[in-house]
Amino acid sequence: MSHVDDGMLHAYLDGELAPAEAQGVDAHLAQCPGCRERLEEERALIARAGELLALAAPPDREVPPFRAGDVKPPARLWWQVRQPLAWAATIVLALGIGTYLGRGFEALREPETAADAEPARPQALETPLTPERARRESRVTVPGATRKPPAAPASVPAPATPERAEYIARQRAAPVAARAEAPSAQADSVSLDGEHDVLRGPPISVDSARLLLGRDPLAVPGAPIRAVYRARQLGYSAVVIVEQPLDSSTVIEVVNKRASPLALNAVVVAGPRPRRRFAGRRSRRKGCRSTATTPRRSGSANLWPAAGRLPAKAAAAPPAGEAVATGP
Amino acid sequence: MYRTTYRALVRFLYRKVWDAERAEDLAQEAFARALVHKPDNARGWLFIVAANMARDDARRAARERRHLTLLTAEAQESNSATDEALEVESDRARVRAALEDLSPRDREVLLLWDSGLSYDEIATQTGLARGAIGTTLSRARRRLVQAYEAGKSGKHVARG
Repeated sequence: MSHVDDGMLHAYLDGELAPAEAQGVDAHLAQCPGCRERLEEERALIARAGELLALAAPPDREVPPFRAGDVKPPARLWWQVRQPLAWAATIVLALGIGTYLGRGFEALREPETAADAEPARPQALETPLTPERARRESRVTVPGATRKPPAAPASVPAPATPERAEYIARQRAAPVAARAEAPSAQADSVSLDGEHDVLRGPPISVDSARLLLGRDPLAVPGAPIRAVYRARQLGYSAVVIVEQPLDSSTVIEVVNKRASPLALNAVVVAGPRPRRRFAGRRSRRKGCRSTATTPRRSGSANLWPAAGRLPAKAAAAPPAGEAVATGP
Repeated sequence: MYRTTYRALVRFLYRKVWDAERAEDLAQEAFARALVHKPDNARGWLFIVAANMARDDARRAARERRHLTLLTAEAQESNSATDEALEVESDRARVRAALEDLSPRDREVLLLWDSGLSYDEIATQTGLARGAIGTTLSRARRRLVQAYEAGKSGKHVARG
């Protein structure tokens, strides 16, 4: 075997030779003093190089515990933020839809309250019949208080709140009155208490009321809703009464009406005594302003047999008569 | 595996970036990447990645910044200035200078071997034939010792 070159010697000393090669080197070294000498030189060189490299070793520090969770590769970043992003998107979407729908709803309601009411109100005041009607429709029932001063309007006994309620009621009732003056069609309307023509029915849920009216039943904002009743009234396909206690002695009844799709007037007029009906109705309205009981009787007797079933509510409505009596 | 390889990796990286903290950061990053890629030969893979990162790091780092790092390191060392510490530091600087005298290939093979890689691993990593590793190592060691001794005696060794 020829002499062992430096590379082979280093590999031999590094223990990196294959067993067969190492045996060959061993065999050569055994019979070659020159190579043995070189072997020791290289051994010293390797040791020296190792020492030098050790001098340039980094400061010996504690191996930091490897926490795989700490170092997240950028490739996974998207997967990490995906779920939070999805949540954020969902919330933003929900808020956006909510805002959009909310605006839509307000836009729907606005014409009924603000836009309609303001132009209609002065007109309603000018028309001779309208103010009464508005007043009548917007009366606030004050069960306890109204009994005391028969001459005073219903709004006087109770302090600030009924006035406010009446103001709201006017606002609400004004468009109703304006519309009601339209000759042929009776539009959907909302009014407050004092509707003697209304037959109060069983209590219903708000959902049912919504179904009946085809819209949300209106109520006085800020006041709790005690109950919702179904009611009937001539000329309306659906009537819903929202009962709201204003305080311990005052109850507001917001009467929501849906106009009948049919000309119910005509249907009723086709009854036995159309002329009387109109007269009766007129007189009933007028009478309603003077006494609480008589017109109801006449009205029920003449036109609307069902009115005979007027429940206790009729009795509970004396304020209506009184209050109206003070009207013009 | 992590413990031993981490030390070896830091040792390897330190001789490239000459900044212990930077070397540790790079080693951690290399392990983090290994977790993602799950290479078959994790150890060899780690050194390849570490070498690449060290090269990129060296490219990225401005010469001034490295100079500053060196200065601060020296300032720190000189604060705790004992003769021994100064000696160690000057030795380290000389070894560094000697290493930088080596050709890139010789230096790489030497550093990989010193970090504990086998000839097979070094061959895989550097692309050299396995039989050439011993020769390269013998040359690198010789040059390193020569350059170091030359630097210690104040002589300037011709580069190449």
